[in-house]
Amino acid sequence: MSYKERSIWVSLAITLYIWFNYFSTIYWSAKDNSLTIENMQSALLTVVIMTIVLEILHHIVIAIIDNKNANYDEDERDKLISLKGSQIAYYILSFTTIIAVVHLLLFPVINKGLVNLLNLPNEYILMNIIIFGALLAETAKFSTQLFFYRRGF
Amino acid sequence: MTKKITNNIRRLRFDADEMTQQMLADIVGVSRQTIVAIEKDKYSPSLEVAFKIANYFNVPLETVFQYN
Repeated sequence: MSYKERSIWVSLAITLYIWFNYFSTIYWSAKDNSLTIENMQSALLTVVIMTIVLEILHHIVIAIIDNKNANYDEDERDKLISLKGSQIAYYILSFTTIIAVVHLLLFPVINKGLVNLLNLPNEYILMNIIIFGALLAETAKFSTQLFFYRRGF
Repeated sequence: MTKKITNNIRRLRFDADEMTQQMLADIVGVSRQTIVAIEKDKYSPSLEVAFKIANYFNVPLETVFQYN
C-alpha cells in the first residue's frame, strides 16, 4: 500500500469518526429535547479542534512509520486520482446544496417538521443539511480515491 | 473491438539487468505503484512519462508502447 493510499484510509477514518460523533451528539440531544444553539456550536467547535489535532497526529504517525516516503511528491497518477475524487465530491455537494435550498423553498411543511424535531432555528437546520452533504461528499471523495488506488487506476 | 494500450516495460526492465520497478520509478519521477499500474495496463501514462521511459531504455516509443 502506497503512502498516499495509507494516508487516505486514515483521513477517511478520522472524517467518519469525527462527524459520526457530531451527528450522534445532535441526534441524542434532539431526542432528549436538550438541543440548543449553544450545544450545536460547541459540537461544531469540537469537530474543528478534533479535525486539526487528529490530522496533525495522523501526518506525524504516518511520517514516522513510513519515513522514507514522508516527503513524497504526488505524481501524475496521484493527481488524476485526486481530481476524480474531487469531481464526485463536487457533484454531491452541489446536489445537496440545491436540495437544501429547494426543500426550504418548496416544502415548508417538511421543513417545519424538521424544525420541530430538532428544535433549532431554520438557518441551523439548513446548515446541518449542508454539513451532512459535505460529509457525504468527503466520504465519496476518499472512497473514490481508494477505489482507484486499489484497482490501479 | 476496443483497442487498448499495452507495453513491454517488464521485458525491457528484465533486459536491463533486471532493473527493479522502484529504480525505474525514481528515474522517470513517478511512484513504484504507478509503474506497477502501467505494467499491468491499468494506467496509460502521459506522453512525457512515456518518452522518459523510452529514452531511458534507448528505444523508440512504439517499442515500449503499442496500441492494439
